[in-house]
Amino acid sequence: MSVPRARLLDLMRARCELFATTFNPEGIRTGNKILRQRLKGPALASYYPRKIVTFRQFQDAFKPLELEVDNEEEIDRLEHIAAYATLFP
Amino acid sequence: MSMFRAKKLDLGCFTNIRVIRDHSKRKAYEAAEAERQALRYIVRNTTLPARTRATAQLQLTQMHCYTRPTQIRNRCILGGKGRGIFSDFKMSRYNFRLQALAGNLPGVKKASW
Repeated sequence: MSVPRARLLDLMRARCELFATTFNPEGIRTGNKILRQRLKGPALASYYPRKIVTFRQFQDAFKPLELEVDNEEEIDRLEHIAAYATLFP
Repeated sequence: MSMFRAKKLDLGCFTNIRVIRDHSKRKAYEAAEAERQALRYIVRNTTLPARTRATAQLQLTQMHCYTRPTQIRNRCILGGKGRGIFSDFKMSRYNFRLQALAGNLPGVKKASW
């Protein structure tokens, strides 16, 4: 018992309508698979953790309370430079 | 390429030039992704005239290499290394081991049987 091709095509067309896919019985390459792909840019771009807050912003947040926060790394750096300046004037 | 680089450093992890470069490439790819996919669609669509497809292919190849997804490589967020990265943890195998032994990775423990 064979089913005529026209009937099969009708079935295929109905199925495509139902599931919102493109009707393409000859299997022509229309590049639709590119359009179906999800965009992966946002996921790739968020790979590295972003800088949330800088030390300067941290210091500024405490300024209204008249509290001073020392940036030890910055102090170390300045001391290092000062030491060099005294060694090689 | 410096035109893709952020004017102010926006990374919170370990940074060296390779990490910054990779980050710039990721952002460049994100910005150009829609255009690339559109061109790729035109190239793959056999129902379009051959000339359109050829020009689309040319445009795609002439885009800046930073907008290519194949330029992106996962790097270690603790040491910037480019090889032996566990993508689940974004860490190189040695840093992963150190962090896992220190108990900083939830759910990871040393196998023993």
